[in-house]
Amino acid sequence: MTLRAENLTKRYRQGEKEVVALSGFTYAFPPGATAVVGPSGSGKTTLLNLLAGFDLPTEGGVYLGDTPLHALSEDERAGVRLRHMGFVFQQWNLIPTLTALENVAFPLLLAGWPRRARLKRAAELLEKVGLEARLHHLPSRLSGGEQQRVALARALALDPPILFADEPTGNLDLEAREQVANLLFALGEARTLVLVTHDLELAQRAGRILHLKGGRLVREEAPQAKG
Amino acid sequence: MELFLLVLRNLLARPVRSLLTLLGVLVATASMVLFLSFGEGLRRALFQELSRVGPAIQVVPEGAEGFVFGGLPEISPETLKALEEAGRALGVRAVVPTLFLTRGGFDPSTSFLFQGLPEGTPPDLLYPGLKAREGRLIPSEGGAVVGAKVAKRSGLALGSLLRLSPRLALEVEGVLEETGGLADNLIFVPLRVLQEALGTENVTAVLVALSPGQKAEAVARALEEAVPGVKAQTTSEVMRFAERALRISDLVRFGISLVALVVGGLLVANTVMMSVYERVREFGVMRALGARRGFIFRLVLLEALLLALLGGALGLGLGGAASYAINLYTLDQVGLALSAVTPRLGLFALGVALGLGLLAGLLPAYHASRIPVVEALGRV
Ligand SMILES: Nc1ncnc2c1ncn2[C@@H]1O[C@H](COP(=O)(O)OP(=O)(O)OP(=O)(O)O)[C@@H](O)[C@H]1O
Ligand SMILES: [Mg+2]
Repeated sequence: MTLRAENLTKRYRQGEKEVVALSGFTYAFPPGATAVVGPSGSGKTTLLNLLAGFDLPTEGGVYLGDTPLHALSEDERAGVRLRHMGFVFQQWNLIPTLTALENVAFPLLLAGWPRRARLKRAAELLEKVGLEARLHHLPSRLSGGEQQRVALARALALDPPILFADEPTGNLDLEAREQVANLLFALGEARTLVLVTHDLELAQRAGRILHLKGGRLVREEAPQAKG
Repeated sequence: MELFLLVLRNLLARPVRSLLTLLGVLVATASMVLFLSFGEGLRRALFQELSRVGPAIQVVPEGAEGFVFGGLPEISPETLKALEEAGRALGVRAVVPTLFLTRGGFDPSTSFLFQGLPEGTPPDLLYPGLKAREGRLIPSEGGAVVGAKVAKRSGLALGSLLRLSPRLALEVEGVLEETGGLADNLIFVPLRVLQEALGTENVTAVLVALSPGQKAEAVARALEEAVPGVKAQTTSEVMRFAERALRISDLVRFGISLVALVVGGLLVANTVMMSVYERVREFGVMRALGARRGFIFRLVLLEALLLALLGGALGLGLGGAASYAINLYTLDQVGLALSAVTPRLGLFALGVALGLGLLAGLLPAYHASRIPVVEALGRV
C-alpha cells in the first residue's frame, strides 16, 4: 500500500497575510525509511499532518493506495489511521492515566479486540522494545527513552504498513537516542516509515532524504551507507 | 465497559477533585430526597388513614374542601338539622356533627387535637375497631377519652385533668388501645364542651356513615342537592383533593431543592470541563491513534454521568438515612412517620441525577470531541 502526495499545498490565513506552509509537494513514498529534513518552519510538521489526515490540504491530495485521504470525513480518516498508520511524536505521546501495557493496548481497544488478546499482544510488543519489566508503570514513572519505546510499541500494535515519526528522538540524551533510533529503523524496516527530523545523523540512516525549504521539496537524496 | 474503566482511571487520577464534586452532587440529591420524602410520608400516612375510615362522607362548608381538621366551625345548627333530615330520608346509618380543636404549640407533648362528638356517639362509629384499654370508650359530659399515643406522650392516665380553656378542665375517663391510626393522636370529648369553649353553636364538619350497600357518590350528590351551601366529599374525593394539594407542595419542595441541584450540576460541569481542558493533548493523541469523535464524546459524557450517578446514589442513601432518623423522632413524638423514601422517589432521584450528569456532560463532551486534531496535538 503506497502513500502518495500530489501537489500537496497548505496555506494558512493570518489576518490579511497568507502563510504558505507547504506548496506543491508531490512524492510517492516507497517502502522503507524516508527522512524529511529542513530548517525550522520549512513545513515538515505540516506535511506530516496532511499525510496522516490530521488536517486537510488547501490544494492537492494524499492517496493511500487508491483511497483519497483528503476526500474522507474526519471519522473515516481516523479509521484509516487506526488500520494503516502508526505514530511516534516528539513527546507526550502516552495517555498519562494508563500504564505502559494499557497504552500499547489502546489501539487494539479502538479496533475492538477482546481484553485478553489485547494485553497479550501489548506485552509481546513491549518485550520487543525491551520493556518487559515496565509493563505496569505509568508514563510518569518512565524515562524519556522508555516513553518513546512504549510509543513505538504502541505504533506497531495493529501492525500498520505506514509509520510516522516527528522528531522521535528530539528530547532524548545520546544513549536513549541511539536505542530508540535502532528500534525505529529495525521495526520500521518492512514498512513505509516517514521520519521528520532535524537530526542529520539520524536522517542519514534512512533510505532517502527529502529536503524541504520554504514549504517546497527542493532536493531528494539517497545516502549510500544504510544503517 | 472498557470506556468505563478509562473514565474511572481519569477520575481516580484526581481523587480530591472527584471526591469534592461527588460530595456536591451527594448533598444536592440528599437534600432533594429528604424534601420530597415529606410529601411521600404525608401521602402514605393520609391514605392509610383514609382507607381505614371506610365508606363515609364528610360534609363541609362550600369552598372548604379537603381535610376537616383545620377548618373553622362554619356549619350552623340549621344546616345541621337540614342534613340530618336529608340523611334520614336517604336512609344513611348515622349523621354525626363534629368539631375539631387544636390546643398547644410546637412541643408535641403539650399540643392536643380534640375531636368533639355528640353525646353518646361512640368514637368507633368513625374509627372502626377502636377499643378502650382502660375506662370508658364514650366520654361523659365532663370527661375525655384519649388516644393511646397522646396518653403516652403526655403522660395521661385515668383521672388526669386536661385543661381546655382557663375555665374548663376535663377529666380523663378512658384510654384507648393503640390502633396505629389517626385515632391514637386524638382526644375525644363531647361536642357541646368544645362548642362552649369556642363560644359557637356551629360545627366544623358533619360526617355521614353509610348503610350497607349505599353508594357514597350518589348519597353525597343527593345531600348537596338537598342542603344548599355545603360540599359533601366522599373518601375518594378527599383523596383526590389531598393528592392535588400534595402535588403542589411537592412541586414547591422540588423547586427549593432545584437550587441545590443546579449547583451540583454546575459543579459536575465545571469539573468535567476542567478535566477536558487539561486533557486536550491526550484527546489529540487518541484521535491521532484512530479514535473517532464519538469515542471522545462518550468518554467525557460518561465521566459526567458517572460522577452524577454515583453522587446521586450516595445522596439517595444519605437522604434515606436522614428520613429514617426523622421518622424515629416523629414516630415517637406524634406517632406518624412523616417522611418516606418510596421506590418511586428513589427512582426519581436517580433519574434527576442522571439528567443532571447528562446536562452537565453534554457541553464539555461536545467541546472535547470537536477540537481539531492538529490543534490538540500542538498543545501540551
Ligand atoms: N496553524 C497555523 N497557522 C498559521 N501558520 C502556521 C500554522 N501552522 C504552521 N504555520 C506556519 O507554517 C510554516 C510551516 O510550519 P511547520 O510547523 O510545518 O514547520 P516545521 O518544518 O515543522 O518547523 P519545526 O522544525 O520548527 O518544527 C511556518 O511558517 C509556520 O509558522
Ligand atoms: Mg515541526
